[in-house]
Amino acid sequence: MSWRRLRTLMRREVLATFRDPFTVTVLITVPLAALLTFGFVLSTEVQHLALGVYDADSTAASRQLIADLAAKGTFEPQRYPTREAMQHALVNGDVSAAIVIPPDFERARRAPVPGRRPPEVQVLYDGGEAVLAGNAEGFLRGLIAATTRDLAAHEAASMRAAHASVRTGVEVVTRALFNPRLDGKPFMVSGTFGFVLSFLTVLITAVSIVNERITGTFEQLQVTPATAVEILLGKMLPLGAVFALDVVLMVLVAGIVLGVWPAGSALFFIVVSSFYVLISLALGLIISATSASTAEAVQKSVLFSIPLVQLSGFAFPIRNMPRLVRWVAEVFPATHYIRITRAIYLRGEGPLSVWPELLLLALFGVALMAFALRTIEARS
Amino acid sequence: MTRTRHFWSNVAAVAYKEASVVRHDQALLATVLAQPVMMMLLFGLALSNKPANVPWAVLDQSRTALSRRLLEEVRTTGYFVPPRAVASYEEGRALLQRGGAVAFVVIPTSFRRDAERGTPQIQVLLDGSDPLTAARVSGYINQVAATFAVHPDPSDHRPETHVRSPGLIDLRQRFWFNPTLADQRFFLAALAGMLLTNLCLSATSGGLVAERESGTYEQMLALPTRPIEIVLGKLVPFVGLSYLVMLGATIGAGIFFGVWPAGSWFTLIVVTLPFVLASLAIGVFISTLAHTSAQAVFITVFFILPSFVLSGSMFPYQLMPHGIREFGGLFPLRWYQIASRRIVERGAGFAEVLVPTFALMALFGLILAGIRWRMKPRLG
Repeated sequence: MSWRRLRTLMRREVLATFRDPFTVTVLITVPLAALLTFGFVLSTEVQHLALGVYDADSTAASRQLIADLAAKGTFEPQRYPTREAMQHALVNGDVSAAIVIPPDFERARRAPVPGRRPPEVQVLYDGGEAVLAGNAEGFLRGLIAATTRDLAAHEAASMRAAHASVRTGVEVVTRALFNPRLDGKPFMVSGTFGFVLSFLTVLITAVSIVNERITGTFEQLQVTPATAVEILLGKMLPLGAVFALDVVLMVLVAGIVLGVWPAGSALFFIVVSSFYVLISLALGLIISATSASTAEAVQKSVLFSIPLVQLSGFAFPIRNMPRLVRWVAEVFPATHYIRITRAIYLRGEGPLSVWPELLLLALFGVALMAFALRTIEARS
Repeated sequence: MTRTRHFWSNVAAVAYKEASVVRHDQALLATVLAQPVMMMLLFGLALSNKPANVPWAVLDQSRTALSRRLLEEVRTTGYFVPPRAVASYEEGRALLQRGGAVAFVVIPTSFRRDAERGTPQIQVLLDGSDPLTAARVSGYINQVAATFAVHPDPSDHRPETHVRSPGLIDLRQRFWFNPTLADQRFFLAALAGMLLTNLCLSATSGGLVAERESGTYEQMLALPTRPIEIVLGKLVPFVGLSYLVMLGATIGAGIFFGVWPAGSWFTLIVVTLPFVLASLAIGVFISTLAHTSAQAVFITVFFILPSFVLSGSMFPYQLMPHGIREFGGLFPLRWYQIASRRIVERGAGFAEVLVPTFALMALFGLILAGIRWRMKPRLG
C-alpha cells in the first residue's frame, strides 16, 4: 500500500467525477429534490376533507354535530338530500367519508330507554383510499366524541341530575414525544437520507465503474502497479467524500427549508452516514462487476434498490410486515442505517444507545468491502 | 389517400423493426418479467401502514382489577404485542427514547377512585417520531378507552351505574370497498399503473438515444419515413407489451390476492390507452433531452420516483399540501391511479372516469407538442 499511488488514484477519481457536468447536477439536485418531495408527502393531518352528510333528523343536535365537524377545518361537509345521492358521491370519489344521521337520532338521544341501544350515527368511509380512511377515522371519531361530551354536559347541567354522569369511557390524555404535532416531515426527512444514500450512491457508482469497464480504463488501472486495495480505496474515498458533502448539504437544506434539524449530534450523524456511504459504494462496485452494459447496471441497481428501500422501513414500518419479511429486512444494511438515522434525528440519541445497530452496520461494511475487493482482484 | 396509406405502412414497418429489437433485449425483458413479480410481492404481502406488533409499555400505579381489565382490552385489539410493565415513569420514558416502545400508558394511583366518582383519566405517551403509527395507535387506545365500561367492583352496587346518560352516541363505522381497511387492496389497485410507468419510460427513453449513438437513427432518417412516423412506429410494440403487463398485473392481483376489478374490464382497458401513450411519449421526450444513454436512464429513474410518490399511488395525494398536490397532477400516473382505483375498488363505470381519461389525453397532447418542438432543430 503506497500513499503516493493512492493519492494519485484519488485525484484522478475526483477529476473524472467533476468533469461531467451531468453527474454533478445529479449529485446536487437529486438529493435535494428527494428531500423536498418526501418531506411534504406524508401527512397525518386531515384537512379540508370532503365529508358527505345525510341528515335525516334535521334537529338542533344533529345540526350541532355537523357544525362541529366543519368548525376545525378538518372536514368540509357537503349535504346530500338522499342516502342514494350520498352513496353515489362516495363511489364517485367526490367524498372520502360520509356520515348518516338517522331520523330518530335526537329522540333516541333525549329519551334513552334502558336496555336499548343508544342513538347511532353511521359513518361510511371510502376504504379504497385505505390510508386516507385510516387517518380520517381517528379525527372523525375524536370530533364526534367531543360533541357527544358537550351535548351530555350541557344537558346534565340543565337537568341538574348528578347521577347522569357518563358511566362509560375513560378520558385519555395523550402526548406525543419527540414530535408533539405528529408532523410527517421529520419522519420522512430522516428516512430520505437512507433512501438517497442507498439508491443514488449505488446507482452512480455502478454506472461510473461499468463505464470504465466498457471504455477499458478499469483494465488499465488493474495493470498498473496499484494493488487491489489501492484501487478500491482510490475509488471509494473520493466518491465517499462527495456523498458525505451531499449529506451535509441535505442536513442544511432540511433544516433551513423544512425546519427539520437533527435532535441529536449532527456531527455523529454525519460520521455514521459517511460510513454508510462506503457500504453503498461497495454494493455499487459489486453490481458493476456483474454487469456488461450501463443499461444492465442501472436495471440491476433499480431492481435491487426497490426492495432495499421499501423493506428498510423508509416509509412503511417493518413491524407491520409478516414475520418472514421482517427477517429479510434485517439483512439489508439500509434497515439498520435508517433505524440509527431516526434515533439520532428524531429522538436525539447518542452512540451509546445505538451501538448494537452500529456494530451490525460495521459488520456489513467489512463483509461487503471484502467482497468488493475480491471482484477487483479477479482480473479477467 | 395514398399519403395516409403510406403513413400507416411506414409506421407498421418501423413497428415491426422495433418489435424484433425488443425480443432480443434481455434487460427489458427482465423489467417486464421480474419487476411485476417483485412489486406484487412487496405490495401484496409486505408493505402496510396498518400498525401491527406494536410494542408498548405500561406503568400501572393503580394495580386494580379495573386497570388490568382496561389494559387487557387494549391488548386484545390485536394491534399490540403483550405490554412491558415498567417500574417508574422514567423507565417508560427511556424505553420510548430508545425506540423500545411506541406507546407508554400510565394509569394513575387514583384510577379506581376516580372511576367511582366520575370519569377516570389515564395518560398515554407516544413516540411521535413515526407520526402515522403514533396517530393510529393513539386512535386505537382512545377507542378502547371511550367505550370502556367503568363498572365499579360488584361489591360496590350503585343503581345509577346502569342508567345511561343522555347524550351518548353510538358510532357505527363501515369501510366501503375495503372492509378490513387492508393496505394491500389500496396498493394492488394501483400496481398496474406503477409497473406501466416503469416499463413505458425505460423502454422508450433509451431507445432514440441509443439509435442516435449507434447511427441507426440517421439511417432511418435517410429512408422516406417522417420523424413522426418513426416515433409512432417505435411506440406501437410497447403499447402491446403494456397491455400484457397490465392484464398480467390485474389478473395476478386477482388470483393471488383476490383483488379483482369490481368495475368493468372494458373501461379499464379503454382508460389504459391514453395513459400508456402519455407515458411512452414522456419516454420519447426524455430521449430527445438526453445526450447519452446513461443520461437518459438517469433522467428516467428520477422522473419515475417522484411520479410514484406524488401521484398518490403510495401516499394519499388528498393529504398533501396545496401546490405539491396540484404539481402531482402533471404526472400521468396521478390520473391513471385515480381511474384504476375507481374501477378496481369502487366498481366505477366509464362515466365516473371521464375526468381522468380527458386529463390523460390532454397530457398526451401536451407531451407530443413538446416532442415536436425538441425534434425540429435536430432534423433541420
